[in-house]
Amino acid sequence: MSVRSDEDLMSAVTRGDLSAFNEIVLRHQKLAWGIAYRFLGDRHEAEDVAQEAFLRILDAASRYKPTAAFPTYLSRIVTRLCLDRARKKRPMPTDRLPVVQNGDVSAAERMAVLDRNRLIRESLDRLPPSQRMAVVLRYFEGLDCRSVASAMETTVKAVERLLARARDTLEPLLAELSEE
Amino acid sequence: MRCEKVRLKIDAYVSCELSAQVRSAVEEHLKACDGCRQAAATARQLIVLGQTLPTPPVPDGFAQQVQAMARQRVARPVPTVASWDLAAWWRMVSMPMRAAAAAVLVIGLLAGLAMGWATVQAPAAKPSAQAAPQGDPLAGYNLDYLGDAPSGSLADGYMALLSGLNGEGN
Repeated sequence: MSVRSDEDLMSAVTRGDLSAFNEIVLRHQKLAWGIAYRFLGDRHEAEDVAQEAFLRILDAASRYKPTAAFPTYLSRIVTRLCLDRARKKRPMPTDRLPVVQNGDVSAAERMAVLDRNRLIRESLDRLPPSQRMAVVLRYFEGLDCRSVASAMETTVKAVERLLARARDTLEPLLAELSEE
Repeated sequence: MRCEKVRLKIDAYVSCELSAQVRSAVEEHLKACDGCRQAAATARQLIVLGQTLPTPPVPDGFAQQVQAMARQRVARPVPTVASWDLAAWWRMVSMPMRAAAAAVLVIGLLAGLAMGWATVQAPAAKPSAQAAPQGDPLAGYNLDYLGDAPSGSLADGYMALLSGLNGEGN
């Protein structure tokens, strides 16, 4: 059975096909969640934002035009929601990244991983929202500069400037991580 | 290539996204610039960090929650109207809203009519200057600068002096 493209699924969503919408969610939930979590640092906030992003896509389905790849379109909505949320309040890093639970990992090693994750989280939170989003999209989601610019609804040059400033701020973090 | 420009291109450089020409220029600069080489190393470290940091799993039941919310939204659609579709908007809004819209329209029309009526009924403005005397259209403006100065006035005496007369025409 051939896999339907994102554009075909969105056309079906436009016609009221909820199963097509479900397929869209299952296919791209990791992307939405990943961006929101990395940016906000809070599980509940990230879940809210990611869910809201999909619901906005559903609401706007009749106006959807595949001018960009669907992941870029989704990234743009998640980015917008994250930046709006960041402007309203400072994110409180309440989560820790998951640590592999197996008998081979000692308590000391688990603590080291937790400390490392905390350090990364705190460094990210120190960045202004726009720089943080550029870092998340570029380095954690692996988008190229053009896709980052599209998701952030800005220019490639602006993204390059954001990343350059973010790199300067994150340099001490990387030096510290390298020493471990 | 200057440092400012190279720093902007560093990410694209380490990800091999630059054209051959620009890449070559960046590499030439990096050979001689410690600062920019450090920036390139930082960019590489960030890429590795992003790739190796574990991605948190999507919360359990995420998709099911979104689906449930979607079903609710579809069951209770938010009225949306295309621009300028007045008839569709009129059909969709509630009765109180229709009454309010009609009231605003009527009040606006009445206000416009009242202002227009007041303008039509207002008398023509009276001329503010005095009526000019018969035969002298400028007299009403007291601009009698071209006429003779009154007899015995300072201006009359001055004119007599200039013209060599003794004030009595001699």
